Amino acid sequence: MSELFSEIYNCYFQVIKSLVEQKNYITEGELQYRIQNACFEESILSLLPGLTENGWGFYERRDGVLHSRLSGNFHVPLTGLQKSYLKAILLDEKIGLFLDETQIRQINAALSDVEPLFLPGDFYYYDRFADKDDYANPEYKKHFRTILSAIRNHEYVDILYESRQQRRLHHSYLPCRLEYSIKNDCFRLLAVKSHTHRNPKVITLNLGRIIEVMSTRIVAPKIPDINSLLRRSCYHEPVRILIKNRRNALERAMLQFANYEKSTRRLNEDTYECLIYYNKETEAELLIEILSFGPMIKVAGNETFLRQIKERLGRQMALGS
Amino acid sequence: MSEFNELIKSFAKSREYVRDFFVYGFKTRDEFDGWSSRTYDNERRRLESWLAGYVRQEHTGKAKNIYLSIDSNLLDTNPLYRVWKAKSFTDNDIMLHFYILDLLLRAPDQTACGQTADEITDGLLAQYGTVFDSQIVRRKCNQYADEGILIKEKTGREVRYRPAPPARPLFTAHPGLRDAVKLYQLASPLGVVGSTIMDTASFQNKLFRIKHNFFVHTLEDEMLLPLLQAMHKEQSVLLTVKSTKQASPRKESTPGTQETEAASRTAAQSPRFHETAGVPLKIFTSTRTGRRYLCLYLPHRKRFTNIRMDAVKSVKIQEPFPDYKNIREQLEQNKGSAWGVSFQNENRRHSEHVKLTLHINEHAESYILKRLEREGKGGTITRTAADTFTYETDVFDANEMLPWLRTFMGRILSIESDCPQLAARFQRDFLSMYHIYFET
Repeated sequence: MSELFSEIYNCYFQVIKSLVEQKNYITEGELQYRIQNACFEESILSLLPGLTENGWGFYERRDGVLHSRLSGNFHVPLTGLQKSYLKAILLDEKIGLFLDETQIRQINAALSDVEPLFLPGDFYYYDRFADKDDYANPEYKKHFRTILSAIRNHEYVDILYESRQQRRLHHSYLPCRLEYSIKNDCFRLLAVKSHTHRNPKVITLNLGRIIEVMSTRIVAPKIPDINSLLRRSCYHEPVRILIKNRRNALERAMLQFANYEKSTRRLNEDTYECLIYYNKETEAELLIEILSFGPMIKVAGNETFLRQIKERLGRQMALGS
Repeated sequence: MSEFNELIKSFAKSREYVRDFFVYGFKTRDEFDGWSSRTYDNERRRLESWLAGYVRQEHTGKAKNIYLSIDSNLLDTNPLYRVWKAKSFTDNDIMLHFYILDLLLRAPDQTACGQTADEITDGLLAQYGTVFDSQIVRRKCNQYADEGILIKEKTGREVRYRPAPPARPLFTAHPGLRDAVKLYQLASPLGVVGSTIMDTASFQNKLFRIKHNFFVHTLEDEMLLPLLQAMHKEQSVLLTVKSTKQASPRKESTPGTQETEAASRTAAQSPRFHETAGVPLKIFTSTRTGRRYLCLYLPHRKRFTNIRMDAVKSVKIQEPFPDYKNIREQLEQNKGSAWGVSFQNENRRHSEHVKLTLHINEHAESYILKRLEREGKGGTITRTAADTFTYETDVFDANEMLPWLRTFMGRILSIESDCPQLAARFQRDFLSMYHIYFET
């Protein structure tokens, strides 16, 4: 088995490959720009000298421009490890959203010299939710592919949707991303509702609740910056929690909340303060995650969050605990 | 003093640093145990170089701490993959990589018969004016044949090399595969390999986002690879495991678990290491807590155990285990009865019954019933009275359910179990919580 930590995958190798593949000459300024974009912050210091005439010799300078000495057909084949990975993902049930059976057979034939890197049965997600999406459903597949195509082409789609309250909603959306949740084993669509709104907001729709998707072929005049919209959806005030480092709570909390934007500092010998940034979509989930830690975590703010915790504890006391 | 280099030879040390910065993010220089100040400074500088844009700084008193702030919902890929792309190399490595591939790709008969190492060496001089030792060229060609980039063929006494087929036609013929890689590099185990495929085939992900993924798991991938290999070949392994518990008195060693010499030398220091031999069966992953475990069968104790993946520091593949299929089948039959990763309880019972009675407004709070259905791992839900429901299940270790039970705080009428500690612990924790919010 080939190694994972190998220079073949080094980002220096990748940026050079990409430069050589795309054009056979480049200015030094553009070269610097490309390195800074694709590599690490300090890569320019060692990579740039290597790419000039006296370095590795991949370029020669003529008329102030660097000309590639490698062929325009240059490419790097996939390694055995990469092919094994492709073969492994072909075994996943979600692959049917992307490829039909014939295509899967053809790709498997092209990868016949390797074994899958992992098998579905190698992993067990022991606390995954039971109500996963039905990836084999032909309607679901159709919706998935229509949305994927709309994201790629920046096209609006008409969606008929059934809400949690079993209400049917019909709107025009600009799909921005498909979000996959490992915990729920389902896809959600992150979309912007209609192009007429002045202050667009990101709407989340469960793919499993979509009844119908129709392509409009209308291209969005402007593509929204999904990240700035998502950031804007975060509450201004983070939740402020105090963690008592007992029963390994600090390590557990830091790992569990690692996917949130957060900052942590030590207050005293065994107490740490952690600020977690969240939005309305994640509020209920964060609340129960914090409750699961019991007395090891105390919510100290914001007021809204604190009120919800106190309300639950008060209710529990009233139930006769 | 050696010059600073942002690239690294070995992944192990950086793995610890990145994990500490990413997971904890409050440690100052003085709090990084076991490393010198120079090491800390270099590792911090590397981290800042690799993960620029994600690194934040804060001053707490006189000390400065840096940390990684990553909101996984906002990202097209896992930024920690960048650490895997920082392997150091020599001038020969990079020159031979591009020159050998370029030379072989230029040859008109590239897919036919290829070239010998001597022919390649001569070609490198003729084409690029660079002299290489033919032994070094042969070694590199053999390495690339092992990696799968080159195809090595023996004809009589001659060994010839030619490039493996290009990646592009595969992705051009199957654009769906390209989109699938964009998803799986975020969502699958060993997603870093998917990320390298995107590098190789020059495409980026602008389609998918991920939720409930723990990016830090990628740091365990170097351990995961040999474990998967052993699982597929039904082999035993010998693991070096770091204690994840906080400093505690030394426990008596158990058969199959011995402290290594290195561990004895540093017994007074933390962390401590020990060796564990067993049969790797499955990777148990929590989608909520971020913990990931290796499920190991211990033949000498005839039982399953789970070891945290982030504690595994080395893996040595051993001999095949003859009864592998049978043991794996036993695990499949038993795993559903484990609430989490524990296969036994402190009460020496085979399993423990848990009955949770909840007050749920059945008209307005049907989502709570939905939660019980989807999170309750097949437990039985019964309506016993108006707005009153019971949830019942049998698990190996009822104590593992405690964090989940707490999430129903505010609705719990009673917790009954033949694990006597469960209700008592819940009640004790609830009263502590009530005290800290209402009485302090």
